Amino acid sequence: MAYTPQFYPGSTSVGINRRKHMSGNVEKLRDIPEADVVAIMGHRAPGADYSSTHPPLKEMGEPDCPIRQAVEPTPGAAAGDRVRYSQWTDSMYFAPSIPYFRSYWGAINCKGCDPGTLSGRQIIEARERDIEKYTKTQYDSEMTDVALCSMRGCTVHGHSLRLEENGMQFDMLARTELGNDGNVLGVKDQVGIPLDKKVNLGKPMSEAEAKKRTTIFRFDGVPMSGTVGARKPDEAVEMTHHMWELRTKWGYRPE
Amino acid sequence: MVTASDTESIQVEILPQRYLMPATAQKLLNAIYENGGITRIMIQGPNLPRSVPYGPAKGTPIEENRDLIIEVAGQAFELGVKLGRVRLELESEKYLPGLKAACERALPFTFQIKQGKFFHNRPTISDYAKYGDVEDKRILGLIDPKARKDKLAILSEEKVTIEDEER
Repeated sequence: MAYTPQFYPGSTSVGINRRKHMSGNVEKLRDIPEADVVAIMGHRAPGADYSSTHPPLKEMGEPDCPIRQAVEPTPGAAAGDRVRYSQWTDSMYFAPSIPYFRSYWGAINCKGCDPGTLSGRQIIEARERDIEKYTKTQYDSEMTDVALCSMRGCTVHGHSLRLEENGMQFDMLARTELGNDGNVLGVKDQVGIPLDKKVNLGKPMSEAEAKKRTTIFRFDGVPMSGTVGARKPDEAVEMTHHMWELRTKWGYRPE
Repeated sequence: MVTASDTESIQVEILPQRYLMPATAQKLLNAIYENGGITRIMIQGPNLPRSVPYGPAKGTPIEENRDLIIEVAGQAFELGVKLGRVRLELESEKYLPGLKAACERALPFTFQIKQGKFFHNRPTISDYAKYGDVEDKRILGLIDPKARKDKLAILSEEKVTIEDEER
């Protein structure tokens, strides 16, 4: 029987969503053109050449190495692209993804990337054409709600602030805006440089849908340990306690 | 025995569930103002810089944050923050029910309203370092000690009470 990896415990909707993010079986909700994703990332103009740090691997003549023969390079690595980044900020008000689960998604599902997890933002670094592909996957999937998540290379503090009146995540640099037709528009790139044309990112999720798709345990959504008066810890809590015990008492070596 | 006087001033904090757009902020502040009884008022929220303060785009103007002019009680001023919290001192508790009603009228979502102590009444070291001896005690607790002088609170003219302004 084929082995199916088990990713995360718990039977709550949050546990199920966390499993989805880790396994990469995320639903595709929208299709943002690749050129628009590239424009928002801001590393190169859409259609421009990729800058490179070394010649393509085929031209370089690699040493005779069994690992290099066994591992197929990613398209970006094969072409010698520069390493670039994309950084996400997810609101604490029921954004579908959170830094840890973006990182799990990246580390498990994206080849040749380096995810970095911080309290309010999550960065993935990879070769340029690879990171563009990974960023588009994140933008298009249910990991992203265009109102509650946005790409921010700097000034990420909106994640922990209350939402704006129109339901958007607060952004000091105003990189996204809610259009009159209800669509969210990207008006600036990751770091706040205005784009040549506004990018239509589609409609935001409703509050109910965001709560349904979120990976955040919250007291006013799905609490990790049940509600007051009816405590029922999720299996995730048991697992965390178990991991903590193993790590603390035996350094993960219970022999 | 000391009994609390019902004409003693009270301090109140209004915390809307979301950050207010300039139009709603104007509506709320006007509603609060119309209710009367305000000794002093402060609005607080995340800063809205006029240009990108750091990063690769440093210095790029942020047009969205410019000219956020609102008019409160006939006086226009530019918003430098996204309104997320209003703290005010009322002349007495009798203005509180009216204040709650004003918030309910102006805000399209829920809010918290708390009574407590929000402004300090003795100058701190920072206050002293910045302003020296503070003559007008109303200014205490109204401002961020890190703020530049041009971002200070707007004080009504000396000896002009709120009622005088309203007439």
